[in-house]
Amino acid sequence: MMEIDQRSLYRPVSIAPLITFRITFGVLMLFSLLRFWWRGWITSLYVEPQFHFTYPGFDWVQPLGNVGMHLLFALLITSTVLIILGCFYRMAMLFFFLAFTYVELIDASAYLNHYYFISLVAFILVFLPANGDYSLDVYWRITKHKPFVPAWTIDILRFQLAIVYVFAGLAKLNPDWLIHAEPMKTWLPAKSHLPIVGPWMYEAWVAYLFSWFGAMYDLFIVFFLLNKKTRPIAYGFVLVFHLATALFFPGIGMFPYVMITSSLIFFSAAFHAKLLSFLPGVKLQATVNQDGTAPGFTPKNVLSLGIALYVTLQLLIPMRFLLYPGHLFWTEQGYRFSWRVMLMEKSGAAYFTVKDKTGSQVYEVDNKKFLTPLQEKMMSTQPDMILQYAHHLAKSYQQTGLEDPQVYAEVYVSLNGDRSKPFIDSSVNLAAQKWSWKPIPWILPYKK
Amino acid sequence: MTPDDRGYSEFNRIRGLLYQKFGMTHVTIKIKPTDEHFLTQFNFTLMKKGFQLKLAGLLLMTALLAFTCGKEGNDDGDNPGSTDAFKSAMLVNYADNLIVPAYTDLNNKLGALNSSVNAFLAAPSELTLAATREPFKAAYLSFQGVSVLYFGPASAQLLNNYINTFPTVPTRIEKGIETGTYNFNIPQNSDSIQGFPALDYLLYAPDAVNKFSGANAAKRKKYVQDVLGRMKTLVENTLSQWNGPYHHTFIASLKTDVGSSIGSLVNQFAYEMDALKGPRIGWPFGKQSNGIVFADKCEGYYSGISAELAIANLSSLKNYYTGANGDGIADYLVLLKKQELNNAVLAQFDLTLAALNAIPKPLSAAFVKNPALVEDAYKQVQKLLTLIKTDLASATAVQITYQDNDGD
Repeated sequence: MMEIDQRSLYRPVSIAPLITFRITFGVLMLFSLLRFWWRGWITSLYVEPQFHFTYPGFDWVQPLGNVGMHLLFALLITSTVLIILGCFYRMAMLFFFLAFTYVELIDASAYLNHYYFISLVAFILVFLPANGDYSLDVYWRITKHKPFVPAWTIDILRFQLAIVYVFAGLAKLNPDWLIHAEPMKTWLPAKSHLPIVGPWMYEAWVAYLFSWFGAMYDLFIVFFLLNKKTRPIAYGFVLVFHLATALFFPGIGMFPYVMITSSLIFFSAAFHAKLLSFLPGVKLQATVNQDGTAPGFTPKNVLSLGIALYVTLQLLIPMRFLLYPGHLFWTEQGYRFSWRVMLMEKSGAAYFTVKDKTGSQVYEVDNKKFLTPLQEKMMSTQPDMILQYAHHLAKSYQQTGLEDPQVYAEVYVSLNGDRSKPFIDSSVNLAAQKWSWKPIPWILPYKK
Repeated sequence: MTPDDRGYSEFNRIRGLLYQKFGMTHVTIKIKPTDEHFLTQFNFTLMKKGFQLKLAGLLLMTALLAFTCGKEGNDDGDNPGSTDAFKSAMLVNYADNLIVPAYTDLNNKLGALNSSVNAFLAAPSELTLAATREPFKAAYLSFQGVSVLYFGPASAQLLNNYINTFPTVPTRIEKGIETGTYNFNIPQNSDSIQGFPALDYLLYAPDAVNKFSGANAAKRKKYVQDVLGRMKTLVENTLSQWNGPYHHTFIASLKTDVGSSIGSLVNQFAYEMDALKGPRIGWPFGKQSNGIVFADKCEGYYSGISAELAIANLSSLKNYYTGANGDGIADYLVLLKKQELNNAVLAQFDLTLAALNAIPKPLSAAFVKNPALVEDAYKQVQKLLTLIKTDLASATAVQITYQDNDGD
């Protein structure tokens, strides 16, 4: 018998953690989507805006109108139910991934790190046999019962969580966060209404405690979760940390709950088996070889390559900011898709002026006529959105008969409790600036 | 070796293997020997009591914490556990010493306006018309003292929209008077045919006495009375809510998120500054229209008190910022050790007020005659708006968005 390498991505492991993951992911997404709908965000984010900030290469992604968007969300909600039940799982999962990502791609001003996380996890789940047990697919024999899965299916999810935590931790290793305890020093006094802890929220040391504990937690929690001995305590920390963030920063939305349930993936198969046994009708059964070993999986080169590629990309994408000059928090070049969660306090005011070709006609822009309050807020501090909006203004004014419009912007930004300062060069005609991956030359240098 | 022995040793061996390879500690293994290649079945249904207890504890803890969070997430602003004495006192100061007196003042001024207008309508003459001038101006200026309070009761009744949407639309008002059919209760649609701007147009018409005299004036008189009656009702309702249940809601809301008292105040500061920059000065001045002046888009165009209204608006805003004689957002900044920012905001308020005062009245004429002075005031307004929208909002951790959303 072939010896199975304990470190191999293809060693057989119990499917139990994947079953938990599939069910909790489905339930959380179901709840999350219903909440999104109930709060009226489908309308306010994807129906009401007349203009959407797109991602490079994805400007073809446009919303489907009022009925279309609600229908899409109804289908998304249906797909989460199918995912929970393990019913036509692959199709449901593929649909969920595509539809959810499509919605996220519509408007960059609605970007949230945990939406990106959900898209990534959904993408991974498309390839995982998470319907291999306790599913209608198995019950109806649509798919084979799979008590064992290759180890990579679980390791890749653990890797994804590790990426989120470690990069979030690394991002906190900056002078503002560690030495000045910003933005905690700014944010915590706003929480003085909390029972018991409220009065402490004005104390500087509390801001330092929050900052340093947060950084340490993000950096090291994964390693304590991986270690069998420290795991139960570490998970206690996961609960306390994320429920505390939910309590202190309710605006963070579903993120704490996503992390709390996803982190269960670090637990052993035995733990998951026990956890699942609380559900009705769970009878995880397996057939093993004569010597008690499970049937092995054959390594596949294409798959290994795919996993390697995914892992490499996940490691590189959050590091891309290193290619850009200047202060990352100021320029935000390479800021998104990098697990920088609740990292800075930034607000801005942007005033746009449109001129004709010769500059003899001058029009000041009322942002409210083009953008929703949320879009205006996000645009005011992010250069790529300022540029997109300027191009949109040029187009709109051209349609009203203005020849070759020039667009200028006076933008002021306040970062991490500093006084506001001019953000971009107001003498640059933004309509003539092209978007590129290169460093943006018209961002003014950051001055503390 | 008997089959039983074999089964038992097999059981132990496999259990060991499963533990090593899959980390399964609590498994029952059923051995079902077949002939040569026997298969082993196992299931992990066996549970230790300890695990159940631990899990129950965990769930209980989560439920407790989630419950606390859930309570925290209530949007009613009521927070009996709140302990921040400064914020409480500040909000009490706002409610009792600024907001309620401001609405009371507006209510009284509207009463006086109503009396003088009724006297005019009963006996239209230059004299009775002139007697409405001061009360009208006083009431309109008084409104500037509540304009920034467009949240809570005022927002629930769309008070500002109904009472001060300008420019008014004379053709629609005249049509309403002529046909006698108009409905002031349709949001947005009816905003621009009622309130102060409608009175401004009707009472300051060049031949107002003539228009209100004679047999044909009955409809016009009724229209004015309907406008005034509605204004009074809306303000009375708002005031009674501030004197009633909303008072507690306001002073008990110590958060800074969307819909909280502090969040609403700071957001409305920015909103009023935006209105000063746009509708009150910038738009009629031609900022949106390549310098082409639209003087009749001014607030209080017909009565010619646009500048006075703008100055009253900004003075009132400064009053709300400082909290007048009690604690206000300005003192909150000091508490947050942002004294320097507070000084900058106060200085900018004064600069902006001075620039507005420097414009010769009426504002509508100054747009053409003194554009440089208007331009300067406009720039100062924008500077103050920037300070409030960025520095002040950041310092108080208030999101400048009138829109509910998640963020990370």
